[in-house]
Amino acid sequence: MWIELLTKVLIAGAVLTGILSFGGVLTWVERKQSALMQDRIGANRASILGFRLLGLFHIMTDGIKMFAKEEFIPRTDHRVLFLLAPFIAWLFSLAAFAVIPFSPELTVAGYQVTLQVANPEIGLLVAFAMMGMAIYGVVLGGWASNNNYALLGSMRATAQMISYEVALAAAAVGPLLIYRTLNMQEIVIRQGQLYNGWLPLWGIVLQPLAFLLFLVAGAAETKRVPFDLPEGESEIIGFNLEYSSMRFGAFMFTDFIEKILVACLTTTIFLGGWQVPWLADDGFRLGGALALELGPMVVWLLRLAAFGIKVCALIYVLMLVRWTLPRFRYDQLMSFGWKFLLPLAFLNIIVTAAVVLVLNL
Amino acid sequence: MAITVKKIDASPKMNLLERTYLREILRGLWITNRHFVVNLTRHILNLFRIKAKPGAVTIQYPEQHRGYHKRLRTAHYLAHRENDDGPRCVGCMMCETICPAKCIYIVPTEHPDPNVEKQAVKFTIDMGRCVYCGFCVEACPEDAIRMDSGRLDICSYSREGMLWDMDRLLANHHDPAPYKDEEKWLDEEF
Amino acid sequence: MSEERKMVKVTIDGNQYEVPAGTTILEAAKSVGIEIPHYCYHPGLSIAGACRMCLIEVEKVPKLQIACYMTVGDEMVIYTTNERVKRARKAMLEFHLVNHPLDCPVCDQAGECGLQNYYMLHGLYISRVRENKVKKGKKATQIGPHVMLDQERCILCSRCVRFCNEIPKTSELGMFNRGDREVVDIFPGRELNNPYSANVINLCPVGALLSKEFRFKTRVWYLETVKSVCMRCSRACNILIDYNIRRPWKNDGRRLSRLRPRYNAQVNDWWICDEGRFGFDFVDAADRLTVPLSAAGGAQAHSGWEAALETAAARLRQAASEIGDVAVLVSPRLANEALYLLKRVLAEQLPGTSVAFSSLNEHEPTQDDILRKADKNPNTTGAEFLSLTTANAEVKDHAYLLQTAKKGNLSALIVIAHNPVGLPELYGRGWSEALDKVPFKVFIGTNENETSRKADVVLPLAAFAEYDGTVTNFAGRVQLLRRAFDPLGEALAGWELLRRLGNALGGEYDFGSAGEVFDELAQKEDKFAGLSYGDIGELGVKVNG
Repeated sequence: MWIELLTKVLIAGAVLTGILSFGGVLTWVERKQSALMQDRIGANRASILGFRLLGLFHIMTDGIKMFAKEEFIPRTDHRVLFLLAPFIAWLFSLAAFAVIPFSPELTVAGYQVTLQVANPEIGLLVAFAMMGMAIYGVVLGGWASNNNYALLGSMRATAQMISYEVALAAAAVGPLLIYRTLNMQEIVIRQGQLYNGWLPLWGIVLQPLAFLLFLVAGAAETKRVPFDLPEGESEIIGFNLEYSSMRFGAFMFTDFIEKILVACLTTTIFLGGWQVPWLADDGFRLGGALALELGPMVVWLLRLAAFGIKVCALIYVLMLVRWTLPRFRYDQLMSFGWKFLLPLAFLNIIVTAAVVLVLNL
Repeated sequence: MAITVKKIDASPKMNLLERTYLREILRGLWITNRHFVVNLTRHILNLFRIKAKPGAVTIQYPEQHRGYHKRLRTAHYLAHRENDDGPRCVGCMMCETICPAKCIYIVPTEHPDPNVEKQAVKFTIDMGRCVYCGFCVEACPEDAIRMDSGRLDICSYSREGMLWDMDRLLANHHDPAPYKDEEKWLDEEF
Repeated sequence: MSEERKMVKVTIDGNQYEVPAGTTILEAAKSVGIEIPHYCYHPGLSIAGACRMCLIEVEKVPKLQIACYMTVGDEMVIYTTNERVKRARKAMLEFHLVNHPLDCPVCDQAGECGLQNYYMLHGLYISRVRENKVKKGKKATQIGPHVMLDQERCILCSRCVRFCNEIPKTSELGMFNRGDREVVDIFPGRELNNPYSANVINLCPVGALLSKEFRFKTRVWYLETVKSVCMRCSRACNILIDYNIRRPWKNDGRRLSRLRPRYNAQVNDWWICDEGRFGFDFVDAADRLTVPLSAAGGAQAHSGWEAALETAAARLRQAASEIGDVAVLVSPRLANEALYLLKRVLAEQLPGTSVAFSSLNEHEPTQDDILRKADKNPNTTGAEFLSLTTANAEVKDHAYLLQTAKKGNLSALIVIAHNPVGLPELYGRGWSEALDKVPFKVFIGTNENETSRKADVVLPLAAFAEYDGTVTNFAGRVQLLRRAFDPLGEALAGWELLRRLGNALGGEYDFGSAGEVFDELAQKEDKFAGLSYGDIGELGVKVNG
């Protein structure tokens, strides 16, 4: 019992640390990737003892700057809410990571260990629920700011996030009909099957349309370009207008965490999670025959790495989109979500359901 | 001549494929992705001292200078006389008079040499007010005030710091930035 | 001239005019609004015909004639702007400029230079001179206390020589050598130090004769100008005040740059004396009083106008009612308006005050029969017209005041623009001790001095060129003083200061400007009857008295 608790705490700590560090690195990645895409060099001025290390110290200087800046708190009746709002968003975004299966189970000294904080039967619903809760941070932040512009910004943000939440969930229904489970670990294991002994039956193969819809809705959910209307700081004024210093930083950081979350969810549902193609529990198998035998520890590490690589690739794609496309207009955003994404998702559900029924999968 | 109205249809003509945007988005992603990969490769090659084109077109400003055209109006300086006995300025106040920003303040006095007669004892330019029109250079009968120092780092933490006095203006000329050859400059830019 | 002057008909540039016979063509043309360019001609001097700039064509006269010398005749047909005249003018200007140095940037005359002006109007040619310029004499030598000579710039018009010969009749200057070596210079061993010497600066159409005091201080196009009158003696010559308030870094922040004479045939013709021209240093001096001071039981300390006037009024009323004798030392350096208000305030608020008048001041009583008057106050006649001088039997002189003060019979004393303590040789010895016996002293003046330092309340007065008003000169001509710039610090014009003092003493004096005070003065005072501020004009009006 104590050992189990200790393991959970350790795992949770590892996940938390990993996600937060990765989020920090993403700020640097975003800068560097956009710079390279635009023939620039990117932030490279921060240095320690003359070492610039490709501008990695900017992660640190950003933090120092955020903490050192003057914190301005507007005169508002909801001071507590105002102070809490960024951390509500932050907290729920992080909480969703509890159900993400970063790795398969591994038996170490008789204990089943997995890099997944919790594995409830309704894991995917938990993740969606947490993502939905994160909206509260935005709503409360805009409302407690006692500023009409911030309130309008938060209304826009809420409308957008709720709209795309619907599309996001609808897009995920297609694969779920096939997997017939909400357990995250189960979803990943189901994707380990091979078709004809060579084609990995990942979600993206079975549900390419749902994958696209999910990715687009996910990008919209994370409020990134081209869906970054809620922020649009200088142009249309967003919900975080009155926030300064680290509270503003928390909102911004939440964005990065949500980006990782969307990448993790997509990986889990559509990209086979920690699955490595043709890698079974005992090694690589081609055409049913064992091609390369590997120890369980190596397999586990390979699968963990596979998850990380898939997430990184997705984030690269998300950032590529973010630095390529211009922002939508608000009416375009809404009609795109309701009139295009959602009907397509429903169509996907109907077709999938019919196919599943007919083929009796 | 009668007024004719020519209607110009500025709205782009798009076919169905273009109107779905999907292909256009993919093309855009392809372009940015290509830049990323190519630039990253170039950076890495350069890092290992393998000759390749630079991975970025930007200039790292304080270390690198772009090179200015020699007709660019940069920070002012006051020229010295040929034999280096004092400034060329005779305190005639032509620049002060023509200055549309009224940012030049001159106090003249008697010059010890009766053939020179007049000199400036105080010559201050409020660089924060200057509009860099170059009228002062045009107006100067002695070619004393010039604007080809090649310096553009005109900055200060206070308004007082933007007041450049005579000593500073006289010393300003010693470190001219490298000028690009005019022909070359034109070739590169246009 | 008693009888009607004979008129003649002339045609100038195609138009017929009637002008008095005997006038020169230049004057005749000027009288009908046609300017003929000239350098050497000056209406106040004899005619030299040296510069040849005023060449004009007269029909039936084969050669061009100089307009400054030829007098008009009946049925004369004159051309001032035809091609021949224009060509001649251009040629003459070219001659003048052959050896003229191109040092306009360092020349103080630049901006008001005859050569520059006529070049722009009549020259605009490209120089054809390929030879070196003939260099004459030295650059900028001081030839008198106020005048710098630069022979290179001279165009040999001889105005300055004629002026010294004809007006002060001192003949310090002469023309030497011939041809292109001819120069104007001072006679050996002489110095251009006559009392009118600086007029040559204004006479000189170029930058050859320049002011020592104004040298390099600013540029003339930075100056603004008002028409006023000089306050250095009782002639009150008409002057132009050139001042610079937009560029305070020039000339150590002095606002008043220079004075120039202004033509008024009734007062000073074209001239002013050097004493008046350079006697304005006190206006921007460091010892100007800029704020009201009051010494309530100790050293003089800055106080606001309200507080200073309250203190003064309270003490003056107390002195007048309880102890008795309050005295005022009136100055004829105040304008008519201030004197009138002083008289009215004293009569209405402090009846029984003894008034003493002194026309003495610190300046040497120089005089001659050209302009300078021995009375160095501008408004002695104005004070006389207002019955504030000793001509009125009730008004005492300063000697009587000194005796009373010495005896300790004065309970309060107001000194206005006088300095009896600092100038004992003028006002008599013992003022310092005598003032110590007066319990309450008010000083009203422009600059700090020995008397102001002994005062209990010091009220700063606006100085010359800081206020509007009128002064009456020795001949009874009322002329306008004009404000060029605001009074320094919190100083107030005389009439405004006395108006506020009168109000503090319990009266109700409501004037918005010096003009309103003068108009009331003109109604109440017989001598000024019939005048109004608006009618005085630039040249002044002679009072009937």
